[in-house]
Amino acid sequence: MTTTMTHTAPTSGSTPKVGIIKHLNFFTALALGAITAFVVWRLALAYLPQNADTAVMHTREDKITLLSMIGWFVGFMTGIGALVGPFRWVMGKDLSHDENMFLAGKDMGVKRYFRYTTDHKVVGIQYLVITMTIFGIGGILAMLIRANLGTPGGGLIHPQAYNSIVGTHGIIMIVGTIIMVTGPFGNYIMPIMIGARDMAFPRLNALSFWLIVAAAVPLIWGQFLGGISTGWSAYNPLAGQAPLGMDGYIMFICIFALSTMVAGANITTTVVRMRAKGMTWNRTPIFIYGVVASVALALPAFPVFFLSQILSAMDRALGTSFYDTANGGSGWLYENLFWIMGHPEVYVILIPAVAALMEMAPVFTRSPLFSFNIAVMGIAGISGLSVLVWAHHMYISGWAPLLNAPFMLTTELISIPTGMLFLVLIGTLWRGRLWITVPTMSIFALLWNFMIGGITGIYLSDVPADAFLHGSMFVTAHFHYTLMGAGLTGALASLVYWFPKMTGRMLDDRLSWISFWFVQIGFNVAFMGMFFVGLQGQPRRVEAYAAIFSKGNLLTSIGAAAIMTGMLVLLAAVIGSWRSGVKAPMNPWQAKSLEWTVPYPVPLENFETLPVVTEDVYGYGRKS
Amino acid sequence: MATTRYFAGPWWKRKDFQRTAILWVMLTPIIGYFCSEIQVGAMGAPASEVMATTERLMRIFTWAASPVAAFVAAMAIVALLGKRHHGDTPPPDSVDVIETSPRAIAVWMVLSALLCLFALVVGMVALQKDNASLLDPKAIQVEVTGQQWAWNFAYPGDGGVRSQVLHLPVDQPVVFHVTSKDVKHSFWVVQMGIKIDANPGVQTETSVTPNKIGTFDVRCAELCGLLHAYMQNKVIVQSKEDYAAWLASQPNSTASTWTKPGAAA
Repeated sequence: MTTTMTHTAPTSGSTPKVGIIKHLNFFTALALGAITAFVVWRLALAYLPQNADTAVMHTREDKITLLSMIGWFVGFMTGIGALVGPFRWVMGKDLSHDENMFLAGKDMGVKRYFRYTTDHKVVGIQYLVITMTIFGIGGILAMLIRANLGTPGGGLIHPQAYNSIVGTHGIIMIVGTIIMVTGPFGNYIMPIMIGARDMAFPRLNALSFWLIVAAAVPLIWGQFLGGISTGWSAYNPLAGQAPLGMDGYIMFICIFALSTMVAGANITTTVVRMRAKGMTWNRTPIFIYGVVASVALALPAFPVFFLSQILSAMDRALGTSFYDTANGGSGWLYENLFWIMGHPEVYVILIPAVAALMEMAPVFTRSPLFSFNIAVMGIAGISGLSVLVWAHHMYISGWAPLLNAPFMLTTELISIPTGMLFLVLIGTLWRGRLWITVPTMSIFALLWNFMIGGITGIYLSDVPADAFLHGSMFVTAHFHYTLMGAGLTGALASLVYWFPKMTGRMLDDRLSWISFWFVQIGFNVAFMGMFFVGLQGQPRRVEAYAAIFSKGNLLTSIGAAAIMTGMLVLLAAVIGSWRSGVKAPMNPWQAKSLEWTVPYPVPLENFETLPVVTEDVYGYGRKS
Repeated sequence: MATTRYFAGPWWKRKDFQRTAILWVMLTPIIGYFCSEIQVGAMGAPASEVMATTERLMRIFTWAASPVAAFVAAMAIVALLGKRHHGDTPPPDSVDVIETSPRAIAVWMVLSALLCLFALVVGMVALQKDNASLLDPKAIQVEVTGQQWAWNFAYPGDGGVRSQVLHLPVDQPVVFHVTSKDVKHSFWVVQMGIKIDANPGVQTETSVTPNKIGTFDVRCAELCGLLHAYMQNKVIVQSKEDYAAWLASQPNSTASTWTKPGAAA
């Protein structure tokens, strides 16, 4: 690798002149958000007219709730400093150099993690922490679900609260898995991996993270207003009759969709425009393809999600009838909009996780990635087909029975590009020298889990079989196998693999092995049990079940406890190693990609001299 | 290293291929047999031809998928039992690495396309059979109404008899006209393998011919609010004589205020 380009950062000798942004941080944002929400709430309470029509008696309260939440959102984003840049720009005087350097986190202090910091490495760490927080909360909710299902009769938790726990577990785990790879590793590692100094739009990067923080509050707020008793899919008209907590869900989704759109545009632009000199598409690591495919899929998907929730909010607060059959709307409209987002979304989750493991496979087998081109084709094929399959969630909805056959066709076609990813992984493992590490075993775990998730997906894609399986626990087990068994496995392997670069320390080996086996074995026990009760006929999202389902549910509860144990061990490993783990060398895995050529702590703009790439990163054992 | 080249000799004589092949041949029937038996065992005895077809489909898919699963498993096991390295530093690079193999890719693509086509054809044939039964002129018509949190059944062809428990005569085609009074529900007759959503304001149809006398389950399969878990009831499939006797014992409810779903706004 030779270097030809040098970068000289402008130096400022004088004392930095930093304006208002120096005083804005997470706490000012919290305060301003709370104040704005309170003021808007008081104003709305005082000045919004009473409903004349008793048929829409809820709409005034919905208006007040939604307006207060919008108030919170605007206040929070102002308080964090998201508007300073755009405001200055409109006024014709953009941020000064010193201010930009301040935003980039030039002081390298801890405080930059609580500010609107634009450095992609800070954003990556912020994403890692928030992802772990989400998994922690979602995991606790999962354990509450299992506690209630510990005995057939349920009854530990009130049905309303139980339904809300199920819905909240669902939506926050979906959000957590969407950001689990592209958030921490897509932000921290990806720019270094392609040889860039930062993202294409650093301020948008900060924006995408703080939008997620802003989104969290309406969701928590909603828990105190009756919760999300509709499941994560929030089907109408059930969502229409749900309590005010639903408005929290709506605001949460709208703000999160904004975050995803912003991040998608930013990451796509970065990869297309800012790869190092010589990094042609043939030399771009497969992980980068995975990240780009993921966020590029989110670009068409999430505006639709946003729109579906805006219409839902209008039905609730303004008395429109988009989803109200009695007044000319249709619940099927919601289902279509939801799944036009919902099916690409599962691949938004899955693709980067599989791509991360494909990135690690050559490193840990010390051999090249088997057929790079097939890996790219597989990712492209899945991405392309995934926008054409949404109505397989609606086979039995009665919406368009004649379309079942074409949607069955597109759905089953996805098995071909998915098979390509399997071929790439087993081809890379074949005859390699296996360096037995947690990421290596994660590849095997992924093959196992994803094989089961994929094959059960074929049963579900088949219309007559789906007529039995739809809405049962079988579906729940299936998507846990894909999103958790395959997706989360890839994300946890990524954590082990890139932890040294992100923290400067190795993740504790013994604890990560313990965690690995607890999680993988527990996972398979839990969700095999769930497949079984699904086949026996247990519906999803029930808070009590017939006695015949008790054996399978017992297995699931035992497995869930094992998963929890494993995740707690991992948490201990992460905290312990981050604070006082073994110091990592610059390139602990002896990998060839660019992120391992920079030291820890990674300098502010990553590279002193920008690298020039002359070959791909998979040249292990290759005769040149 | 040149003396221990991996590529020496024809490919079928190499140890790793032979091991994979043996494992594959062994694992395929094991996976196919156990998975399909456990699945179909869990699904229970079918109470209709539709359910029997569904169970047959599950069996076919499992058996079709088992060679694929066995192949990936065999490859993974052989790879895992091959050259392993433990430690903090990486092993030396692999030797005689394969970057790609057009032949392997071609075989893989053709086989996965064929399997996909097979799954599609099998599904289409079953779907066609299900759809045709909706038009059976001899079928009795049952109107199913979901509401939070109960099912109501009406027999418009039989003087508008209404019931909370579904009674059906054996070996007689039934067409269900399904709707909802409030939110979306999903009408699932578990052991008969049929399910269709109950949407407010519209009617959806499904059909089945129960072929077994006994008591079976109706469950709601779409989250519909507070007591979704309890929105279930029994289906009683009777001989034609018992069914006729049950119908006759029901109060004639032509005077009922109940209207056909979808007829009123």
